[in-house]
Amino acid sequence: MSERDRMVWLHDAAKAYGEGPRRVQVLQGLDLEVRKGELVAVVGPSGVGKSTLLHIIGLLDRPDSGTLELDGTDVSCLDLEARAKLRNTLIGFVFQYHYLLDELDARDNVALPLRIAGRTGHAARGRAEELLTRVGLADRASHFPDQLSGGELQRVAVARALAMEPPLLLADEPTGNLDRENSEMLFSLVRELHLMEGLTSIIVTHDEEMAGRCDRAFRLAPAGERSGDV
Amino acid sequence: MRAELHLARRYLGRLRRRTHVATVSGISLVSLALGVLALVITLSLLEGFQSTIRRELLQRSAHARLAPASGRVLPDAKALVSVLRAKLPNVAVTEIVSGTCLARSFADAIPALVEGRSNTHRVAIDHILAARLGVGPGEQVEVISSRRRLTPLGPVPVRVRLEIADVVAPEPGRESGALTVPLDVAQRLLWGKPVVQSIELRDPADPWHLARQVRQALAGRFPGLRVDGLQQLHRSLLLALSMERIMIFVAVGLMLVVASLNLLCNVAMIAAEKRTDLAVLSGLGLTPSGLRRLFVLLGLAIGTIATVVGAGMGTLVAVTLDRTHALTLPRGVFIVSSVPFRVRPEMVATVSLVALGLAILASWLPARSVARRDPAEGLRYE
Ligand SMILES: Nc1ncnc2c1ncn2[C@@H]1O[C@H](COP(=O)(O)OP(=O)(O)O)[C@@H](O)[C@H]1O
Ligand SMILES: [Mg+2]
Repeated sequence: MSERDRMVWLHDAAKAYGEGPRRVQVLQGLDLEVRKGELVAVVGPSGVGKSTLLHIIGLLDRPDSGTLELDGTDVSCLDLEARAKLRNTLIGFVFQYHYLLDELDARDNVALPLRIAGRTGHAARGRAEELLTRVGLADRASHFPDQLSGGELQRVAVARALAMEPPLLLADEPTGNLDRENSEMLFSLVRELHLMEGLTSIIVTHDEEMAGRCDRAFRLAPAGERSGDV
Repeated sequence: MRAELHLARRYLGRLRRRTHVATVSGISLVSLALGVLALVITLSLLEGFQSTIRRELLQRSAHARLAPASGRVLPDAKALVSVLRAKLPNVAVTEIVSGTCLARSFADAIPALVEGRSNTHRVAIDHILAARLGVGPGEQVEVISSRRRLTPLGPVPVRVRLEIADVVAPEPGRESGALTVPLDVAQRLLWGKPVVQSIELRDPADPWHLARQVRQALAGRFPGLRVDGLQQLHRSLLLALSMERIMIFVAVGLMLVVASLNLLCNVAMIAAEKRTDLAVLSGLGLTPSGLRRLFVLLGLAIGTIATVVGAGMGTLVAVTLDRTHALTLPRGVFIVSSVPFRVRPEMVATVSLVALGLAILASWLPARSVARRDPAEGLRYE
């Protein structure tokens, strides 16, 4: 894979939690490459470190060692401030839990990354409404999180993740809390957006069928064993 | 900045729904407002009393005094007075001679301070002496000097009979009786010649700087002369007043500090409760400095509301109590009959700024530790 085609390059990453006897080595010697435009599923047993991996790629956490390049730039040594700015422009997140702010309605939640980027309230709200329409929630813009269903909340979260048109979408079991029907709907939505927006996406999932519908599936193995494509 | 402002507004605006956070912020707001209120009222009260005392002092006391550096008599008094009159035309100049004599009435004979002043032609006696001698306006006292005069009958004390014109309040701080008489009467009684022992100056326009003006006007032309201003004449009283002000400011200011510590606890609590939200904001790209700004804005909002409410109510209470004379004092205890309040705008401004500063500090401290974390820690949802 040439350097120009590469969106994510994680090399020899290690991460451990805890100190002394309670120390758990979660990741060790991990390599992961993701091509631009690829839709990659990350699979593996619970507790193996899938979320940890995604947090590291998404600059929400730091590996203990190893290099991370995003879109050709080495981001291993950036400070908190620079990492925050990159998260804003480069990366969209969707988690298992929606993590919308209770105090804001759907529109303002979606507009949040835009406001953080310094857009005016008017511009941010306009774009947020556009995105809510894209995820089929145009009529729910003024509803607060406690007035929305689980599936709707996740769709708002997807809209928020894509607000800044980031090239990289990271989703950590986005359907983990949803029933079959909503899961299917959300996954289809994500896949559709992935294709239409030309995103590079990494999705952690337990669902074999979903993993099968991705370009490839990456199996994360416990530290010490070999991780790799299925 | 846009996102922070928007969020701060939303957090505060939606507080009504989040009962716990609302209660917590409400309590910090109220306690901070109470601190400001207490500080404004207390300082107004203090200022009321102090300005009454100062006003009284300025009314009753000389604003500057010239006295010989050594000896009992001012050398060159005539020249001195004419220089003062010429150079400081708006300043009242009073020549003074004073000494102790025996004051006698039909009832008693008591040693009394006799003060001759060039600015009076009447004889005034203070309450203390009037009471002891049992005399009042229109009655006579005999004043007997320790100076003797030679007569065919041998040396006899110099004495005069004086008719009392006024009974006046004693000078502040004076405990034995005193008699104020025209200058020439005192000169005759105490010296037998026209000497002057000291000069008192009054300048209601600028009392606190009179001594300096006098020194400049005299420009060292009269050596052996001591010039004392209000600061020197009433050193201990003025020192006590300013000490009192500082001590009370510190003591009540501690209340403000306690209120801010309370705010700090509460902001830290909100930070803990909103840990996930903060991690989400950080995840969406809000920088550490942005997080700090968000907290400072919240603190600023709470601080501003508290300060405006506290300072406003404090001012209102103080002004109302002062205008309506609602708190009366027993007669004769103090020079005024109700508790005086005086609200000084610069004092309210100082208190408000201190309160606001503490509120900002109190919200900035927990924000600092929040901003130092990587967001992953706040996003553990199992
Ligand atoms: N902050 C933390 N402190 C200690 N242990 C942690 C922490 N975060 C994760 N772990 C541990 O790391 C391992 C991997 O966690 P995680 O990445 O969430 O796994 P997965 O997402 O694959 O289920 C788990 O054993 C978890 O208990
Ligand atoms: Mg996980």
